[in-house]
Amino acid sequence: MVQNVAWRGGRQGGSTSHGSSTPAGGTSENTRSVIGSSIAINDVVKRYGTFMAADHISLDVQPGEFITLLGPSGSGKTTLLNLVAGFQKLDGGEILVDGNPIHNVPTHKRGFGMVFQSYALFPNMTVTQNVAFPLRMAGVDRETANRRVAETLEIMRLSDHAQKNPSQMSGGQQQRVAIARSIVMRPKVVLMDEPLSALDRRLRESIQIEIRDLHQTLGSTILFVTHDQGEALTMSDRIAVLDAGKIVQVGNPVEIYRHPTNRFVASFVGESNLIDAEIVQKRGSTMTLKNRAGYVFNAESRSTIDVGRATVLVRPERIAISDEPNQTAIPVTVTSALFLGEILRIEAQMEGGETLLIRCPDSDRRLPNVGDTLYASWRAEDCWVLS
Amino acid sequence: MSVAAADYAPPATPFSERLKNPAWLLVPAAVFLAFIYLLPVIDLVRISMSGSTPWVHFERVFAVPLYWEALVRTMQISLTVAFLCLVFGYPTALLIHRSRGITQMLIATAIILPYFIAILIRTYAWMVLLGRNGPINKLLQWLGILDEPAQLLFNRGSVLLGMTAVLLPLMVLSIYSSVSRLDPGLTRAAQASGAGPIATFWRVLLPLTAPGMGAGFLLVFVTALGFFITPTLLGGPGDQMFAMHITQQADFVSSEGFLQALAVVLLVITLVVVAVAGRFLGFEFIWGGGKLTEVHDEPKDSVDGTTVNTAPRRTFAMIVADAIGWPILRVLSALPGWTGTLTVRAMGGFVIAALIVPIIVVMIISFSKASFLTFPPPGWSFRWYEKFFTDSQWIAAFTSSLTIAVISSAMAVTLGGCAAMGIVRSTIKGKTILMLLLVSPVIVPPVVLGLSLYSLFLRFDLVGTIGGLAAAHAIGGLPIVVVIVAAALQGVDTRLEQAASVHGASPLTVFRTVTLPAIAPGLAAAAFFAFLHSFDELVLSLFLSSANLQTLPLRLWADVNYQLNPVLAVVSTLEVLLVVGGIILSRPVLARSRAA
Repeated sequence: MVQNVAWRGGRQGGSTSHGSSTPAGGTSENTRSVIGSSIAINDVVKRYGTFMAADHISLDVQPGEFITLLGPSGSGKTTLLNLVAGFQKLDGGEILVDGNPIHNVPTHKRGFGMVFQSYALFPNMTVTQNVAFPLRMAGVDRETANRRVAETLEIMRLSDHAQKNPSQMSGGQQQRVAIARSIVMRPKVVLMDEPLSALDRRLRESIQIEIRDLHQTLGSTILFVTHDQGEALTMSDRIAVLDAGKIVQVGNPVEIYRHPTNRFVASFVGESNLIDAEIVQKRGSTMTLKNRAGYVFNAESRSTIDVGRATVLVRPERIAISDEPNQTAIPVTVTSALFLGEILRIEAQMEGGETLLIRCPDSDRRLPNVGDTLYASWRAEDCWVLS
Repeated sequence: MSVAAADYAPPATPFSERLKNPAWLLVPAAVFLAFIYLLPVIDLVRISMSGSTPWVHFERVFAVPLYWEALVRTMQISLTVAFLCLVFGYPTALLIHRSRGITQMLIATAIILPYFIAILIRTYAWMVLLGRNGPINKLLQWLGILDEPAQLLFNRGSVLLGMTAVLLPLMVLSIYSSVSRLDPGLTRAAQASGAGPIATFWRVLLPLTAPGMGAGFLLVFVTALGFFITPTLLGGPGDQMFAMHITQQADFVSSEGFLQALAVVLLVITLVVVAVAGRFLGFEFIWGGGKLTEVHDEPKDSVDGTTVNTAPRRTFAMIVADAIGWPILRVLSALPGWTGTLTVRAMGGFVIAALIVPIIVVMIISFSKASFLTFPPPGWSFRWYEKFFTDSQWIAAFTSSLTIAVISSAMAVTLGGCAAMGIVRSTIKGKTILMLLLVSPVIVPPVVLGLSLYSLFLRFDLVGTIGGLAAAHAIGGLPIVVVIVAAALQGVDTRLEQAASVHGASPLTVFRTVTLPAIAPGLAAAAFFAFLHSFDELVLSLFLSSANLQTLPLRLWADVNYQLNPVLAVVSTLEVLLVVGGIILSRPVLARSRAA
């Protein structure tokens, strides 16, 4: 029963620091054209032989929410999406859409839209025919269908390509056609299976924004699968992080990034320093710890543990460096220093052997050399004790 | 249904859902093959053991020197042919691989075209070529090497030449499929790492194409074991192969039991060779395809462990190969660099000539004025075409062959198409075994199959009926269809089908709008090849037709044996045109499928 903890509650739950960084916050519901469905995933199990692809997963998705399933390959995120789409059968548990169980509803009657990594455009049809496909299947009359297709192509800025064959188009254009096809019915749920990972970085970023905006105007619930943590942070209302067929944390992007619950989330999302330390004392939400080399520092914590050892997360960009020692700073020896343009990426070794990764914004300071000694420091608010 | 039940028990599959399981599509083909193929073969084994003791007939097979020697001879000839095919096939496959553009297309066509022309016709072409008045004798006389025409036919040499030529395309295609799968970067990587052309060939090319060579060798060997047409026409009395004894014995009613024992011996030898080969190469070599994906058996991201298992064996093979081959090649590497290329070109060119020249000679002779076979023709005329098109017997044979082939192709495509769908799309266990069963008719020597079918046909009064022959031909057509359609289905992007399904298409609509257009070229090709298989089929027809139902190959067979005349050349020319026409017609379809 340990795994049966459901992650319920959507945008209302989460950290106090969740500000305007999630764009969904400011949009009023009445500008949206449909109201998305709620999806309740209850204790879902999927096995391949003895391999648990989905190991008692529970997740509540709010109507109209943009939720991302984030995890490395083999973590079960695509399996979960396929179960929702109906490509695979459940081995246990249930999936409810707007409160109705769907495991006996065949895929083609679920009324979802879907975007695939490989675009999956029908090669024997033109762009228009591809986009019109869901309408044709639903038996929408020709006149309405033509109008809806034209509208959708307009939204996706594809009107000039209407009569082309998919094979004549670039990857980015093809994926926009696939997105057009997935939204032409104004479905209450749109599933996206790593839709951007076949595209180059620039294109990916522009389509990320496009999908984000589309979600604002459309209002559909979007279930988005990716292994790219940056993408997940940029786009989602909430992120569900998966590992080995289980959900390890659900929360909004800020929560996931700043307050990961365990080592896996901390190291999978963003770059991180995980420092092994001994708890000295705990006072309220502040904990005093001592690292291996004996340096004492404070950290924020929601952990209930107050004795023994703990792992402390310090994000590389939260570390301040200085050439001069001061009483709270830890001396470190530089082992590599890279100039990346807007930031400096420094790797340094603390006394006791632990490596510290530091990212600091470019300034007029000189680049440190390998072997230099720097003094690294951080505030209590900059670190987080993993539970 | 209570919530608790839905939570913990996997939803029970209702009966209507189970009916939708694609595995059901395998049933028609399985029933068909069980009735017309497996049962007769089992019956054959039963009859072979129906003597006073179960093994009395087998004792005779091995005790009588005539049969024992024929068996040994069959093995010798088959091994020699397989070896010759390998030696000449490999350079040819390399030649196709290395040439580009129009040259490549021409060379490939020169190999593939003969592959689709009836064995009978290609053997006939060799008879023309090697005949007393044939072009080779004429050429040798003109060069002054011979004073008078020599007897080039009816000896061991002509049997080996004919069989090698007939079976070479099989070998070339098998090797080419593994050569073409090589990453071209590998050759460059070897060269960049300091390997010369010979070292690259020896260390990289040869080990990586060994499976293709093995598959080709075995396919040729197994096919040659059951060969009947070519040795009968090109061989002398000393070149009797085992399958020929079976057909000769079939004329005597008294040999019931013994005859079946002969067939069983041939069948068992064939199956043992295939089983041993399958153990090492994987049975996929029979249908020249990759392993079938057994869905849902393992997770997608599992690490493939097979490389670890095969490593020791390969190392051992490499040690042996290095000890023998490498020193020889080191000596050869002293030769200038262009000798390798030249050898490949010379051998490949020779092979292409051996495949194409007989066909061209036959086509030329069909326009001959002479009433006997002579080359070059003394004059030109259409008289043999006139004779063919006005002779009611030839036309009757032609129409019945056409009818049988159309029906047979339809049967094979229907049953085989469904079976391929069932194999690829269902999630049942033991797909490899099922596929093996569906494809096994290719392996069984046609003589054995014909003999076993004969008693079944007698019992149901099917001998000499169009339907019966069509069904018998469909046994061999079915594997062709299954292999081609299964490959086409595996090439269909399942994401496309999922995309159609999620956007509202019912399973039937998904099939119609996505799957069918994607496999249409494959289906068309399968139908054409199943048609050709039936249209060219001779051995089964020899057993199963009657005096009042003559097929074109039967008519040809009778004429080849009794009166070699240019009408045969006319029929051959028409067959070549049929195959060429089929390939040309299918080109745009194939090209379209490649673009998609």
